[in-house]
Amino acid sequence: MIQTRGLTKAYGDRKALAEVDLVVPEGSVYGLVGPNGAGKTTLLGILAGLRRSSSGTVKLAVDPTERAVLPDTPRFDPWLTGVEVVSLAKQLTDPDADSGRVEEVLADAGLAEAKQRRVGGYSRGMLQRLGLACTIVGRPRLILLDEPASALDPQGRREVLDLISRLRGSATVLFSSHILGDVQEVCDTVGILDDGRLLFQGPIESLLVGQAVPRFHVRLRADADRVGAALADLDWVADVEQLGDNTLAVAVTSLDVAETNLPGELAATGAAVISFQPEEATLERAFLELTR
Amino acid sequence: MTLWKLEVLRLVRTRRIVALLGAYVMFGLLGPLTARYLAEFLDLAGADLAGATIVLPDPVPADGMIQYVSNASQLGTLVAVVVAAGSLAFDAIPEMGVFLRTRVANVAAILAPRLVVVTVATVAAFILGSLTAWYETWVLIGPLPAGPILAGIGFGALFLLFVVALVAAAAGWAKNVLGTVMAAVVILLVMPILGVADSVARWVPTHLSGALAELPGGAAASDFLPATVVTLTATAGLIWLAIAGARRREL
Repeated sequence: MIQTRGLTKAYGDRKALAEVDLVVPEGSVYGLVGPNGAGKTTLLGILAGLRRSSSGTVKLAVDPTERAVLPDTPRFDPWLTGVEVVSLAKQLTDPDADSGRVEEVLADAGLAEAKQRRVGGYSRGMLQRLGLACTIVGRPRLILLDEPASALDPQGRREVLDLISRLRGSATVLFSSHILGDVQEVCDTVGILDDGRLLFQGPIESLLVGQAVPRFHVRLRADADRVGAALADLDWVADVEQLGDNTLAVAVTSLDVAETNLPGELAATGAAVISFQPEEATLERAFLELTR
Repeated sequence: MTLWKLEVLRLVRTRRIVALLGAYVMFGLLGPLTARYLAEFLDLAGADLAGATIVLPDPVPADGMIQYVSNASQLGTLVAVVVAAGSLAFDAIPEMGVFLRTRVANVAAILAPRLVVVTVATVAAFILGSLTAWYETWVLIGPLPAGPILAGIGFGALFLLFVVALVAAAAGWAKNVLGTVMAAVVILLVMPILGVADSVARWVPTHLSGALAELPGGAAASDFLPATVVTLTATAGLIWLAIAGARRREL
């Protein structure tokens, strides 16, 4: 659906994007992850046609009219009502659709009761959901969402994530975020952008399995310092981190070796072990490993 | 909801149409009133004139329009510039610019309704103010022939079209509403300075703003043809500049 080659955007000497080769498969929900300032908004801006690249190419498998964009903090003329804003979006993107489509997306966005209110009185979360309603009202084939759930309260975030989840199958979604949990929950494909460079892209499972260093959480009755020091000397232990409350996070080079040897090594230290379990691979861990 | 209706709603709901109509109609009411009773107003201030005596000729009908135009061409134009900038600087809030730009194939589709609706509203306010001034001049001072008045209104309307196009061009290159207003006002202020030279004055668009004052006083309509040609040409150029500026902008 989207393919970029050597995409670069420079502002003077600083490169906001550097040789980015992005591939977004059709029908995927692609999470573009990166810290603030990584270049996510710049990349989305170029894909949206709002900015020009300094070099490189962009190929989109859709017409510009089939592409919808939601900025991170959508704003609308405050004297319009919610239904007027969505009606305008529909008129501009899919004028032939019947007016019932407007009511449908407003209901999907949870704004049916507020649709006749002027948007100047909407909360931040309501504006975000209104922005999503405007984004989907024209039934676009490609949806670009810039930090759609940032700065929302937990309930607002939940609603926005649910809305994005429901888009799966009906459109290709490229969704930028620095909230890794959101991306892990909603996306099937992920790209990690840091300092303008795309460090990884692919299915989220391959990132978790292939990039994240496996870790075990070991909870002890006491002596975490002594046991941690003993484990850190082992060849197959990459790192030992104290998580507090006599709990150690033991990063290992191989799950198999650790599963075979870790119980014995713990026993050899004479430690009183309360629990011992592999840490669930998370996008956050993989991200930190990649951007370390 | 269309982009055209959006602009009409913007004028109505933000009460900008009230500001436009109010300004021009107020000047239309006050201009002839001032011309008719200026001597009486000065008499009322007699105690403050430190013994000086001001002798004014009896007002003639053309004075009513002169007073109206002197206000409308300055304060009225400023109101028009501010109202136009509020509409034409559509990227001033980038998120609103994104909403529109990502939903149209050509940025001209955003500009066209804004240019047309603001121009129509401004010209309508100017016409209403002019007709008010014309009627009140007839009531208070005396009648004025329709021909020069209608020609003067036509030239004035053309000047306002130029003003809106100028604001559109400024909006295409300035970053916000204030920058747009400042750029347009500076250019409008510079033009009369250029017009101090008689050979240049007849060619400057601001010359048209005085037509409604000068034609009823006996000036010939042909005096305004050079400025008309320049204004039409400049307006086309400014609209092109507005579109070019909007196209090159990145959000």
